[in-house]
Amino acid sequence: MSLQPQEEEVVFRIKRYSPEKGSYWQEYKLKVDRYTQVVEALRRIKSEQDPTLAYRAACHMAVCGSCGMKINGEPRLACKTNILEMVKKYGSNVITIEPMDYFKPVKDLVVDLDDFYQRMYKVEPRLHTHKEVLEGKAEHRLKPEDQRELWKFGQCIWCGLCVSACPVVPIDSEFLGPAPHAKGYRFLADPRDTITEERLKILLDSAWRCTYCYMCYEVCPREIEPVTAIKKTRAYTKLAKEKTPVTMTGEKHIESIHNSLIEVGKLDEAKVYLGTYGLLGSIRDFIYLFQSGKVKYALVKERPVENISEIRKILTGESK
Amino acid sequence: MDKVSYDAVVVGAGLAGLMAAHEIASAGYRVAVLSKVFPTRSHSAAAEGGVAAYIPGNSDPNDSPEYMAYDTIKGGDFLVDQDAAELFSYKSGEIIDLLERWGVLFNRQPDGRIAIRYFGGQTYPRTRFVGDKTGMAMLHTVFEKTSGLGNVDFYFEWFAWELVRDESRVRGVVAFDMRNMTPVFFKAKAVVMAAGGMGMLYKHTTNSYIGTGDGYAMALRAGVSLKDPEFVQFHPTALYPSDNLISEAVRGEGAVLRNAKGERFMARYAPKKLDLAPRDIVSRAIVTEIKEGRGFPGGYVGLDLTHLGEEYIKERLPLAVEAAKNFAGVDATKEMIPVRPAQHYYMGGIDVDITGKNPDLIGLFAAGEVACVSLHGANRLGSNSLLETVVFGRETGKAVVEFLKGYTEPSSDIDKEAEKAVDSAYDVTKSESGIHFGEIHEKLRDVMWDYVGIFRDENGLKTALSEVIKLREEAKKVYVSDKSKVYNTEFYNVLELKNMLDLALVIASAALNRKESRGAHYRLDYPERDDQNWLKHTIAYLRGNSVEITYKPVKITKWKPEARVY
Amino acid sequence: MSYAYYPGCSAHGLSRDVDIATRKVFETLGLKLVEVTDWNCCGGGFYDEKDEAGHIALNLRNLSNVERMGLEKMITPCSVCLHSHRLAAYKYRENKDLKRKVEERTKGTSISYSGKADAEHIVWVLVRDVGVQKIKEKVKKPLTGLKVAAYYGCQMLRPEEVMGFEPAFNPHSLEDLIAATGATPISFPAAKSCCGFPLIGSNPKGSMKMAFNVLKSAKDNGADILVNPCSLCHLQLDSMQPKIKAEFNIDWTLPVLYIAQLLGLAFGFSADELGISNIAKQVLAQKGVI
Repeated sequence: MSLQPQEEEVVFRIKRYSPEKGSYWQEYKLKVDRYTQVVEALRRIKSEQDPTLAYRAACHMAVCGSCGMKINGEPRLACKTNILEMVKKYGSNVITIEPMDYFKPVKDLVVDLDDFYQRMYKVEPRLHTHKEVLEGKAEHRLKPEDQRELWKFGQCIWCGLCVSACPVVPIDSEFLGPAPHAKGYRFLADPRDTITEERLKILLDSAWRCTYCYMCYEVCPREIEPVTAIKKTRAYTKLAKEKTPVTMTGEKHIESIHNSLIEVGKLDEAKVYLGTYGLLGSIRDFIYLFQSGKVKYALVKERPVENISEIRKILTGESK
Repeated sequence: MDKVSYDAVVVGAGLAGLMAAHEIASAGYRVAVLSKVFPTRSHSAAAEGGVAAYIPGNSDPNDSPEYMAYDTIKGGDFLVDQDAAELFSYKSGEIIDLLERWGVLFNRQPDGRIAIRYFGGQTYPRTRFVGDKTGMAMLHTVFEKTSGLGNVDFYFEWFAWELVRDESRVRGVVAFDMRNMTPVFFKAKAVVMAAGGMGMLYKHTTNSYIGTGDGYAMALRAGVSLKDPEFVQFHPTALYPSDNLISEAVRGEGAVLRNAKGERFMARYAPKKLDLAPRDIVSRAIVTEIKEGRGFPGGYVGLDLTHLGEEYIKERLPLAVEAAKNFAGVDATKEMIPVRPAQHYYMGGIDVDITGKNPDLIGLFAAGEVACVSLHGANRLGSNSLLETVVFGRETGKAVVEFLKGYTEPSSDIDKEAEKAVDSAYDVTKSESGIHFGEIHEKLRDVMWDYVGIFRDENGLKTALSEVIKLREEAKKVYVSDKSKVYNTEFYNVLELKNMLDLALVIASAALNRKESRGAHYRLDYPERDDQNWLKHTIAYLRGNSVEITYKPVKITKWKPEARVY
Repeated sequence: MSYAYYPGCSAHGLSRDVDIATRKVFETLGLKLVEVTDWNCCGGGFYDEKDEAGHIALNLRNLSNVERMGLEKMITPCSVCLHSHRLAAYKYRENKDLKRKVEERTKGTSISYSGKADAEHIVWVLVRDVGVQKIKEKVKKPLTGLKVAAYYGCQMLRPEEVMGFEPAFNPHSLEDLIAATGATPISFPAAKSCCGFPLIGSNPKGSMKMAFNVLKSAKDNGADILVNPCSLCHLQLDSMQPKIKAEFNIDWTLPVLYIAQLLGLAFGFSADELGISNIAKQVLAQKGVI
């Protein structure tokens, strides 16, 4: 803490938009100190320089989820971004601010989040307990470890950053998106919930469409790990009564991996391929591999794990 | 202008508004919920500490609703209406139980029951919590539950501007669709005002940017009174410059305050209790240090944890460390956290009784921070505001249901009144030049902070009053430079400014009027509490550009006023 | 200098050329690679979807063996194996409920993980420990004029708090290595996008689309070739490129090399010595690189 005011001038290069003007860039200069967040800078710009700048912000403490945007290309909350730290990280006093990806821009940094809200509503985001519990006639307690697990995924602030940054959302309309899965899982895994079957109908196929790129984990400002919720949702596959082709392929794939691990402790790629796609599907892919000259490697037998009983024990509890 | 009709319109989609809406809709009535933000952005989400409750079978064995009521009454420096405190305490267990069944993920004891902990001012521990995100957890669950009801329509990012009334009844609300500036007249039999607080009137506030006092101003302009408007709560330690709250628990664990000279200045203001002195004393101390030039440039002091050791800090104060890192870029294990006092809560509000009903306007109800029951009297206890929203949100909802049952449709045509409201808003868009809202807003915030803040005196309050009147005049020159109709935030910022200027006048007048110190209202010229002359509620009306003040007695049931010592 | 070396199932399977090239590069730099004793599969980035605790135990078994070898750093050429091990160690450290479950699984086995060993990517070791200067010194055949798209993929970057080597949105380790060979690094929009490999297990159509997007983005930004840092990206973008070409009806080929293959070419090895694929060889020959 210093007795001298230590302010630096920063240039905010903001991507603005209006239906009348289209997209355009506008720059604002502001002196800030080391403690200042981006959202405070935006407020000062609006109050002192340009009242027309449109953006969403409310709580300035990363709990309302309003201020999601891209700052120097990173999907972040403006309130959880320290300006001079960003200047240092990128080695430039120009901070570029743009609206979140994927959602349609409405005005400047404000985007249309209806798409996001629809996804969240789709997963039936409310607890359906037994009637007697709801009416207070019976009690259904929750264990502390269950509370911790559910609360991890229940903290979602609906900021939309993960959906905006997810690479699968734009290419696959059947995929709900990371946040809806985190929300959906919070209820799926709640021991007090009574509509598991309906939830699986909504969540399961979509859960098998995630590509595990960990972008949602990276951008989530509340450390929720939506990708982990998706993985845990896949674990419910055996409970589902109806399974789509994507679900069944996924199920066969993970079973093949499991079998390979139990058998040799490593992935026998040929066996996993056959187990997932069957003979015809595998043959097709092997033709492509032949074209790229990689089939010769498939013929080399890899040494299995010696202490295979140890592998079997940790995976199944039994050494055989 | 388009019109839609509902049985009830709720303004504000925070905890109080949603609870009321849920109650009314569950009884079969059609409800519209208006909010200028998506419901989960409401300020209820910011409440961290927890929610107080007495749950029979799951409370400290020495605790009781009586103790809870007493703690609340004493905390409010005996300006609390004791019937409100009793209802609040007796209903607390029931409502927390209900929220738990709806799925709020309260922290648990090993046997699966909801966990309990202490909070400031409680005789026995009774605070329930969900990590440090109790408000957010409750808000999301109540929103999820309420949005599942078929007869609740959500109008979010709609700016409610004016109540529409006839001689005796409220008839509805005029609101703008923020996406395209289209006005709609929401006709209603009952209106529940639940629009939250007013922190943006002050230079430093822990409140969201949306806390612009819209609800209070709408009520005032509709001829409705505010109760105890002079009582504004301040918190001694808010992070600089975001003004995010840094809990008192930090000082409770051994952190100390230092000025720019490195001195532990609390020794001068509270030689015995030092950094653990009551909130108002600490707030005044910090403000004095800054005023007298011993603060850091920018206006803050340091909260020093560095002597506590890295291990201890990481174990006992992880949230303060996280907040300092995330919102100020400070490593609290190595350097001081920059803090200063900030406005935090508003005890004053729309005058209602324990059913949420306002006596001036038939059909108008209010709940949550925007209402003054009065539950908190002159000073609010921690973890009481969350409980207030859900208890009184629900009670108000019940009262609205009763009201709707006996409702008879009035015959008069009210559309002209609604049109007037739209015109008054569109006025600001007509100029091509003038001053920007920010100029007036910044001046207003300075005036309120300097003169109607943590400590007040006659000269300061008179200055505040004259400055506010000047600003109200100057505000006539404010214009909207953004000529687009699409998501025109500047337009709503100007309307918010008008609301703030209406409320500021009432607060300054009431503060000047109350010649005593009680709870959060501290007068340097009248430093003692004066029950003889001032054990009463202020009732204030906005009449054009002046404020009319009357009084109402405090409801005393069991507890006689006593000295407030801790 | 010895490193514990974890090739992973793919580098000993369909992406064996990754292993071949990596060994050649490390040999040239005078560094010894000691294969991890009796190593098992990391789970392929999938196993935790079936069994979270079992997945962690699998990965800790390798790390525990590394510690028994007297080493702390386990280096791997595969981003997925890297991610799997680091995430397992991270969750084991941070999540007490999960730690308990894992310990139930490892009870009675030889697994004893002190927390010291962790996985690292060969790229990190090359950039940070060996250094760009030393690498430049070994370059016999500078790849001047060759425009190389620096493709990171996802697993070696995200999440930053687990991977910890470079900023997830602003990395430059691959550009540094590419520049050391004399070639010109090309940045492109999809450089940090997922190649789609994990989707082959459930939605092959989506998988191919993501791979196509990566290749197209690199091509549209003027790249002659693309380098990747992962056995599985290599499988997806190089080995499976004929499938992508067929599915999206494209007439161009973008040669894809594993990063060690690029370094190997600069060090003077032949394409065959490095196991470079047929399709890559064709275009590289056309461009006069080989």
